[in-house]
Amino acid sequence: MQFLKISLFLFLFSSCSLKTTEGLRTTLVSKTQVENLYFSDHAQDYIYKAKIDIYGRYFGGILIIKKLKKNTHRVVFTTEFGSKVFDFLYEGDTFTKNFIVPDIDKKFIVNTLQKDFKILISETAQVKEQFELEEIDVYKSEADKRFNFYFFNKENQRLEKIVNTSKSKEKVTILFTSKTENIAEKIAINHNNIKLSIDLDYFKKE
Amino acid sequence: MYKYIFILLITFLSVNVTAQETIMNASEIAAFKKQVSAASISTNTIKSDFVQFKHLDFLSDEIKTSGKLFFKTPGLVKWEYTNPYQYSVIFKGDQLLINDGGTKSNVDIGNSKMFKNLNQLIVNSVKGNMFDDAEFNIKYLKTPKANKAIFVPKDKKIAAYIASFELLFDKKDAAVLEVKMIEPSADYTRIVFSNRILNGTVNDAVFKN
Repeated sequence: MQFLKISLFLFLFSSCSLKTTEGLRTTLVSKTQVENLYFSDHAQDYIYKAKIDIYGRYFGGILIIKKLKKNTHRVVFTTEFGSKVFDFLYEGDTFTKNFIVPDIDKKFIVNTLQKDFKILISETAQVKEQFELEEIDVYKSEADKRFNFYFFNKENQRLEKIVNTSKSKEKVTILFTSKTENIAEKIAINHNNIKLSIDLDYFKKE
Repeated sequence: MYKYIFILLITFLSVNVTAQETIMNASEIAAFKKQVSAASISTNTIKSDFVQFKHLDFLSDEIKTSGKLFFKTPGLVKWEYTNPYQYSVIFKGDQLLINDGGTKSNVDIGNSKMFKNLNQLIVNSVKGNMFDDAEFNIKYLKTPKANKAIFVPKDKKIAAYIASFELLFDKKDAAVLEVKMIEPSADYTRIVFSNRILNGTVNDAVFKN
């Protein structure tokens, strides 16, 4: 009986613990909100070469992100030849599907893409909890019944990672590599529960 | 046939044309088609540079990419982007051979009528020989230096992707100077060709992935 109790406790405990905060120290919340400035300049056209791998099927294309005004972003994906694959508009919490190629216009696909890019472009997040390690500050925020953990490099204050989680599981991880201020030269979006990865490379200026 | 084109022209007369452009008359259209057809028949290989401009109404600048195009009869086409990234597509029979910066993949287009049409379209537009009245409503225009054909697809599936596309031809040798694809949203892709070499040596190895 005792063994059963311990097992049950262990099971409950392990299923509830989130990998994301393992090994991190909880600290006092030092700021009310964090910012993701990688898509925050409305004078900038954010153009990326994209590689998408979904269940071993591979697609290439060009991802275009533009901040139109405060809290408003256009996210467009085209083939290398320039024809549109999808065209999304985010206005605050309102999402509009301007266009999507009929072949991939499935609820599951649209929802997944919509959520991924929402995490990617969201500029501010309210901080609920805060953690740290030697080199990183981690801020936890709540969004759409899930949580986003923002990982910042302590030294240069650049955003290096966003982990989107449920209460117990990591769902989506976005990694940023940034050498230039407020520009992410490389972005990797990886899903944990579906085999989907999106790799983005910033267009070099000629 | 010409009667049909004439009726088409009448239909399109109401469409706005920019100041420099005028609509061809029936005999001009006939002469133009003959010129393009003759140029197409005598073309066995094409090697050309290209610059692609993607226009999206909400962007500050057009997205510029560039590369090389290879064509070899009967229907081998390779589009190779070299700037700002490496990406190539080879159209070979029922296959698309893609090399995306080292990641290689094949797409079988054998079962897709849509892709086959698109492939045919690309091959034909490279050669300039695509005046297919069954597939398109075609408008013929001329400017002092170039001839222009505007194609509006009749197939609704294609029309969902491409509202129309325009080919600009050199008046002297009927070479395709520019291709412009206009989407239903009015955003467009413009491809400008330069340094064209006709009937030079193009090895089959070019079309291997």
